[in-house]
Amino acid sequence: MPEAQLTLALSKGRILEETLPLLARVGIVPDEDPARSRRLILSTSQPHIRLLIVRPTDVPTYVLHGGADLGVTGKDVLMEQAGGILYEPLDLRIGHCRLVLAGREGREPDRAQPRVATKYVATTRAFFAARGQQVDVIKLYGSMELAPLVDLADWIVDLVDTGNTLRANGLVPLETLAEISARLVVNPASWKTKHAPVRALVSALAETIGTESAP
Amino acid sequence: MSMENRWLLPEAVSEVLPPHARAMDLLGRAVMDLFWSWGYDAIDPPLIEYLESLLTGTGQHLDLETFKITDQLSGRLMGVRADITPQAARIDAQVLRGDGPRRLCYLGPVLHTRSDGRGGSRCPLQVGAELFGDASPQSDLEVIALMLETLLRAGLDDLHLDLGHVGIYRALMQEAALPDQDERQLFDLLQRKAMPELRAFLAGHPMSRQVAGWLWALPDLNGPVDVLARARTVLAGAGAGVEAALAELTRLAERLDQRYPQVTLHLDLAELRGYDYHTGVVFAAFQSGRGQDLARGGRYDHVGEVFGRARPATGFSADLHALYHAGRSRAAPAGAIWAPVAGEDPALEAAVVALRHQGERVIRALSEENGLPSALHCDRRLIWRDGQWRVDAWTP
Repeated sequence: MPEAQLTLALSKGRILEETLPLLARVGIVPDEDPARSRRLILSTSQPHIRLLIVRPTDVPTYVLHGGADLGVTGKDVLMEQAGGILYEPLDLRIGHCRLVLAGREGREPDRAQPRVATKYVATTRAFFAARGQQVDVIKLYGSMELAPLVDLADWIVDLVDTGNTLRANGLVPLETLAEISARLVVNPASWKTKHAPVRALVSALAETIGTESAP
Repeated sequence: MSMENRWLLPEAVSEVLPPHARAMDLLGRAVMDLFWSWGYDAIDPPLIEYLESLLTGTGQHLDLETFKITDQLSGRLMGVRADITPQAARIDAQVLRGDGPRRLCYLGPVLHTRSDGRGGSRCPLQVGAELFGDASPQSDLEVIALMLETLLRAGLDDLHLDLGHVGIYRALMQEAALPDQDERQLFDLLQRKAMPELRAFLAGHPMSRQVAGWLWALPDLNGPVDVLARARTVLAGAGAGVEAALAELTRLAERLDQRYPQVTLHLDLAELRGYDYHTGVVFAAFQSGRGQDLARGGRYDHVGEVFGRARPATGFSADLHALYHAGRSRAAPAGAIWAPVAGEDPALEAAVVALRHQGERVIRALSEENGLPSALHCDRRLIWRDGQWRVDAWTP
């Protein structure tokens, strides 16, 4: 049987910088530098593997629809994603950060129903639902730290790496919702219909990062 | 809503237009004829029913999928069916009764409250077949074979068949004896093959090393048929239920491999699709390069229980729209015969009637002036020659 074509959707940005060396260690090197190329589909040193470079939040969509067989995206994106099953067999141990609840230092919310500004609406709702607390969730697309400063919200839920941005704006982390890292995700249909090459790639990556994952 | 976009359909609701509606109708008929030739009797259950009878024994998933309305006559809550299978189970258990095996099939619209998140339609055209009253592997084999025949009839090739058995997971859950909430979490992890989270879960819950080992191995037990041999080693000692399930899968895989060498077999012992109501073998058909399954089914032995009779049952269903689009089973646009405007010539009328009787498509001109429209795919025309009406080849 000819080797099936595999398409990998990679997240643009910081995760990409850490993903490429990982792929290189299992022998997958893009034919062009993704940082420079304007192409959206890149061929690689392995003729049966090609790469898509997309926004992190779009990776699950591409993989769910079968536009890509596998993908690399943050756990934060996967937690926020609803509907449809993706396999998440590997923690790639890159793109580490924390999803935290943060607020102004020494200030309790004065609203009966606190407001939370976040990009992660579903995750935030689930977190407060599990705590049994009613909150109003306000969707923002960036610069969450601003929201408490202008009293748009009492708290924010956002990704934190070093915590410098929080500190610079007088905010402190109150609670960690989840430890975040990049995951390998696989379309279930691809797992079943392209079993051999998919498993080979997953095993190779698992060996490289040294987890006792499914062989 | 402004006047301009009044004609827009609701999200994830679609309609089918010519020529596809005709081709899809032909496919539907071909599939129902296939079911008939296998001894399956057609049923046509109603689009709405009281909620209790629609949803009993089918799990929470279907409840969320079902549109609900209040019956103005009785004040009771009715549901628009989201799945025809429970209706077939009700009909088998309550309406038709009888003890022997019964084969039922159906083709009809269902409604889902939500799209599947993959661009799927909220109004699929469900086609399926159900076999009640037989618990033997023979009926699983028959239903899977019929599913494959259906897909082949729809013009699909490069098929993959995924086989699993929810009995294995059920047996392991019994061993693990977890509280309900933890079991749901474990279920979610297994379904997503989320190995990092699964490791943390198993480490954080008290259970014997052996059971934890089995649960850890489960998401890895997938692949070509030889995975069953590996499963027998890995899951050794997990009990008679697991052994029986593995033996059943082995026999089934052998038979299917013999009968359908062109179909690639894949086994996945952690596949828990429809775990809410499935009790035994579960299966789904995939096509290379397509991100979703095309048809799916499995054994559901207890659904009839709530209707007073627990009947063994197995069956499959698919969305005819999806089969049609995947199968490219389009009939070439059938030609038609162009006939002159209806007048006073009885011979012309007789000729038209005779042609239509033969199954020809005859399109009449509506006036002398309006010429010969090319959009109607007429490839012949009826003309008066040598003292009679004749069909002549014609290129518009």
